[in-house]
Amino acid sequence: MILALTFAAMSGILVGLNRQINGRLGLSTSPMFASFTNHLVGFVLLSLAGAAIGGLLSGDALNSPWYAYLGGPIGVIFVATSSWLIPRIGAVQTTMLMISGQMLSGVALDIARDAPGSLWARLLGVALIMTGILMTRKRAR
Amino acid sequence: MHLLDVRQARVLHLAAAVGTGCLLTLMLLLNSELARHGGALFASWTAHGTGALVAIALLLLLATRSGAPGQSFRYSAAPAPWWAYLGGMTGAVNVMLSSTAVNIGLALTGTQAVALSTQMLFSLAADRWGLLGLPRQRLAWRDLWPVLLIVTGSAIIIFAGRDP
Repeated sequence: MILALTFAAMSGILVGLNRQINGRLGLSTSPMFASFTNHLVGFVLLSLAGAAIGGLLSGDALNSPWYAYLGGPIGVIFVATSSWLIPRIGAVQTTMLMISGQMLSGVALDIARDAPGSLWARLLGVALIMTGILMTRKRAR
Repeated sequence: MHLLDVRQARVLHLAAAVGTGCLLTLMLLLNSELARHGGALFASWTAHGTGALVAIALLLLLATRSGAPGQSFRYSAAPAPWWAYLGGMTGAVNVMLSSTAVNIGLALTGTQAVALSTQMLFSLAADRWGLLGLPRQRLAWRDLWPVLLIVTGSAIIIFAGRDP
């Protein structure tokens, strides 16, 4: 349990660090270049990790549907947009608006897929998030 | 930026951030589908590899369209410090971390809420002190209200809106 929470806590910080570092690179180059570098460096490191640990190609990836390979290209847009936004509206607003989008679309997906869960809790969560979004203050820039 | 008035820029930023958050749901869905077949490491490795290829294609496309790729975005004259090129490292470490967590059976509902909270706390520190070379953002107490509402709303959805 403690280990799970530590892992989760670290994962959140790594996400924040990732946005901040890529945002800094985007400032001096461009957000798309930052996204490219992020993916290339990640690819090289994960290749090394795969070579060291092994098991990279042990699954049956050939059986996955073609669209499962679109996650990477979507990630490019994701990193580029967050690198573009973070120097403009700040880390807090970037983070909370992206979390909002993630939660709202997650609820929409759960409802569309008829996933079990309390509708009232979902609606209350959505209402709080929407209120939060509307309360974000615009930056004087 | 100068072509847009403040209100238009505001709507653009909001839409971009919330819209990208929606894309994240789709991305995680696709990546977990790939991970279901090929494993977590394979899925992330593939996502980074295909992502790098698509990004370089987009960079070349932007370059042919407007001369220098994205240089209009630049507003820091200083060159990027060496560590700014290592953003991909945090992503790779995160993948290793989460696949380890899944392998030892730590996929709990609560972990997502904890990760969102530390992500939020990190962003507060990042803005407060201008961490890692990004501009400092002045934070007032009233800026914490939307944070509180969004974190609470997310926690309700994570804990009560889904059956485990």
